[in-house]
Amino acid sequence: MIKSILSLKNVNLSFGGIKAVQDVSFEIHENELLGLIGPNGAGKTTVFNIISGFYKADTGSIDLGDVCLLKLAPDQVNKVGIARTFQNIRLFGNLSVVENVIFALQQKIDHSWFHSLFRTKKYLDIEATLRTRALSLLKIFSLDQLADTPSKSLPYGLQRKLEIVRALASDPKLLILDEPAAGMNHSETEDLKKLIQFIKTEFKLTVLLIEHDMKLVMNICDRIVVLNRGEKIAEGIPAEIKANKQVIEAYLGKRS
Amino acid sequence: MSLKSKIIFLVCFVGLGIALNFFLNSYIQALAISFMINSIMAMSLNFITGVANQFSLGSAGFVAVGAYTSAVLTKEVFNDQWYFIPLTALIGACVAAFAGYLVSLPSFKLKGDYLAIVTLGFAEIVRVIFLNWNHVGGPRGYNAIVKWPNFTMAYLFTGAAVLITLYVLYSLKISWFGRNLWALNEDEIAAEVMGTPIAKNKRTAFLISSFFGGLAGGFYAHNMGYISPGSFGFLLSVQVLIITVLGGLGSISGSIIASIILTVLPELLRSLPTKVDVRMIVFPILLILMMIVRPEGLFGKKEIWTFFKKEGRS
Repeated sequence: MIKSILSLKNVNLSFGGIKAVQDVSFEIHENELLGLIGPNGAGKTTVFNIISGFYKADTGSIDLGDVCLLKLAPDQVNKVGIARTFQNIRLFGNLSVVENVIFALQQKIDHSWFHSLFRTKKYLDIEATLRTRALSLLKIFSLDQLADTPSKSLPYGLQRKLEIVRALASDPKLLILDEPAAGMNHSETEDLKKLIQFIKTEFKLTVLLIEHDMKLVMNICDRIVVLNRGEKIAEGIPAEIKANKQVIEAYLGKRS
Repeated sequence: MSLKSKIIFLVCFVGLGIALNFFLNSYIQALAISFMINSIMAMSLNFITGVANQFSLGSAGFVAVGAYTSAVLTKEVFNDQWYFIPLTALIGACVAAFAGYLVSLPSFKLKGDYLAIVTLGFAEIVRVIFLNWNHVGGPRGYNAIVKWPNFTMAYLFTGAAVLITLYVLYSLKISWFGRNLWALNEDEIAAEVMGTPIAKNKRTAFLISSFFGGLAGGFYAHNMGYISPGSFGFLLSVQVLIITVLGGLGSISGSIIASIILTVLPELLRSLPTKVDVRMIVFPILLILMMIVRPEGLFGKKEIWTFFKKEGRS
């Protein structure tokens, strides 16, 4: 039996008179790569923001396993196991590459004020372990050479990569990628595709992917959910979606 | 630092205090103490504004709370005994920390100018409360506060307070908590998504900063022997802010250097034969020049000692 990891049920959200998300329900199965697509303004990012806790849904329910996410703040959502990246990269620009990762790692650790104030051996040990862990994580993605450069000076593609690494560092069950291929050229997108497949198998992750690049989505997603004007219009494997009449209409309009 | 250099440092610190007692005239001595107090205020503001990027214009408020608490306590509870001053200053600091916590409760969502207005408002509220509180002297001020018996004691305790402030704020800056604050400073939304509670971090930063603001206030009261609501006006907040910006937002030790400069400079200017108070003109000009020539302050975000060591990180 397929186990579902995250389930949305009848989620509604409106901003004033605009219904941004209407009655959306879907499930993400364990260790699958689910694509979420739709034309501009379809409500994809809004759904993301509802899951990660920035918006509160008006009605409906979102559950991760048996944890209800509706009442949680963004930092608590991260603690229960959801990490996300952003459409426009949000790294800590002046912090070095390795510090970006350490920051994500240290959130899982209970620091004591006493030890950090007196810089005891225990504290220094913890800091050293954090750094080693961060470096070994960076090494997997061959970013360890750049560990001490400020992250804002990385090239665009690597910034994307680092943002994904940082999200992985918080040890999530579900990784949400918000348009990771935005602004990338063909070869960078190829690299990204390999990267996503790599982390999915290597870290045994479930991935939810929002993307505009249809080639990428059709290539790597196990299943796809299509949104249009805040409503779910289709769900299925890529081949089904390609042939779905409603989806074609949403993207290209009706044949007159 | 090795144990040996720690001992040498301690001997020098104490020896200097005893020596200065004989070699300096009382004017220079008073200046030295007031520089130390200024640097505690500046470091405390630097932690909240430089490290945590929470623009505060309310340092005078926290200083006032610490000063009045400590002054009233020594007079009414501890019978004007000078050796209780460190204790009462500490209590004053705790009360100020509590006040800082209260201010941060409603204002954690505010940033930049808006937060500055809230903290400024807080400082004014504190000033007006003391202005109308007859038991502590009202507008006449609070008089005859017990002072340090001699310069050596004043120097030793205030100096120790400076060193403790520097040590605590610096080790917090480079600790996990400092990293949380840097990250918040860079991108709040990303920091929150990575699992750090923003509001809690900001509240803690406020608590720590206002604690040391209050500590400075306690030492200020017992150094002056007289406090009035007028000494904790908007101007004090601005002066502390100028020191902090000059030293470099984020450089805790830079605040100490800047407060030497800005404590000595006005005293030198005092001797100028002008009718107007030139100091108040020089301060802003200095700040404007600073912003043009070196916008990040004297030391930027680095600490002084990183300039001497090749391999060191701020």
